[in-house]
Amino acid sequence: MRDALAILRKDLRIEWRTRESVSSVFVLGVLLLVVLTVAQDPEAEQAPALAPGVLWAAFVLTGLLGIQRTFLLERENDCLAGLLGAPIDPASIYVGKLAANVVLLGLVQAFVLPLVGLFLHLDLVPALPGLIAVCFLGNLGFAALATLFGAIAVRVRAREVMLPLLLLPLLVPLLIGAVQATRGVLAGGLVLAGGGITVLAAFDVVFTVAGWLLFAYVVAP
Amino acid sequence: MSRILPAATGIAVLAALALVFLVVPTEADMGIVQRIFYFHVSSAWVAFLGFFTVAGASAVYLWNGSRGADRLAHAAAEVGVLFCSIVLVTGPIWARPIWGVWWTWDPRLTMTVILWAVYASYLMLRAFGGGDEAVARYAAVLGIVGVLDIPLIMVSVRLLRGIHPAVIARNEGGSGLVDPWMRIGLLVSAVALILLAWWLTTLRVRSARLEEELATLRRRLFVRPGEVA
Amino acid sequence: MNFLPYLFAAYAAIWIALFLYLLRLGRRTADLEGELRELKRLVDDRSR
Repeated sequence: MRDALAILRKDLRIEWRTRESVSSVFVLGVLLLVVLTVAQDPEAEQAPALAPGVLWAAFVLTGLLGIQRTFLLERENDCLAGLLGAPIDPASIYVGKLAANVVLLGLVQAFVLPLVGLFLHLDLVPALPGLIAVCFLGNLGFAALATLFGAIAVRVRAREVMLPLLLLPLLVPLLIGAVQATRGVLAGGLVLAGGGITVLAAFDVVFTVAGWLLFAYVVAP
Repeated sequence: MSRILPAATGIAVLAALALVFLVVPTEADMGIVQRIFYFHVSSAWVAFLGFFTVAGASAVYLWNGSRGADRLAHAAAEVGVLFCSIVLVTGPIWARPIWGVWWTWDPRLTMTVILWAVYASYLMLRAFGGGDEAVARYAAVLGIVGVLDIPLIMVSVRLLRGIHPAVIARNEGGSGLVDPWMRIGLLVSAVALILLAWWLTTLRVRSARLEEELATLRRRLFVRPGEVA
Repeated sequence: MNFLPYLFAAYAAIWIALFLYLLRLGRRTADLEGELRELKRLVDDRSR
């Protein structure tokens, strides 16, 4: 566990120094929001209803690109080879990277969420605690799979298209759960969001455990 | 021994077709189009069996590196996607005359599309991930994760509102097989398609083994020290 | 609405799909076996 924390701190520190991934991903998030909203061109009254879908489509697409970036950077600098040379359990590497990705994605969500409220005429404040909870649950599940498959995608040919190709079908339940939960939370609170939250929680548990167990097979020499 | 499987498959398929077209009574509501149902549902079951096989073989491969397990995983994925495609083609053909639309986002059809996409991506990884033997390991990870996703897909898909509540009612009402001959028809169709899938898988595994033999032989023959490959 | 064409289309689709797959598999296996025989002959020639 100490190893995982060390990796988390290392990744976050690298990110903080360059601020490359976070800033480009943030700009990308804004752009995606604009594109998704403008493509549907909703009327003022219809706009709030689009919010859950637009929010999570933007998160997923931005997250994909962001995580792809972090793994590519590491690959370019051969960091992972260095890490694996040290006597660290691959599972700890997974946990550390997972945590780092959760933090990074959380930052993106923190920026994009108020923008959705702005663009789609939605008052988010009353639903904020529920929204934060749903965002975190979605974030965790997404990062769990993306960390595992990011490591795979960066090791194979056609790597630009591999990560979305492998990840998007698997993420559909998460997307459905997150959108339904967000809709419920915006409509009236966590109770209405029960079904979606259950799916999200189950997704998180299943795939953090699966990633933790399977990561070793991905990075094995 | 290897003669038995194709023969049994042939017999089972003929029996199934005979039942579906000659013996089984016409369904009251849907008419003769309902006869699609026997092979449609059986194909879905076969696809599921295929994907579970992928997961099992993948787990074995990760556990002990057995090449046979890896070949089986790849073959089962191909056959699984084949039958999944059959489900996705026969579904709309059945839906169109009955409900007037080619597609509905009802739980079962939605789940089938997602599953198809997961294992199609498995096949893409295998085909385009490059020749490195580590790709087999990555595919195995995907094969296992895919099967873990199945219950989550099933649960989440029921949260969707969908376009046709009537369709959902039909699905929840079960297969609605009143006549015992209908049940027999379904059973025999399922057996026939399972045997067919099994046979196709063995053929595919043999093809994979030949490929590997070829690769080893080629390596031995053509790449020798000092020789230009 | 006449349902028979739909029934036919569905079963035709199934058999066409299966047939095409078998065809592709058969052709690939035949090619592989052919290549394997060629290479084995090469090995025999070399070792002689």
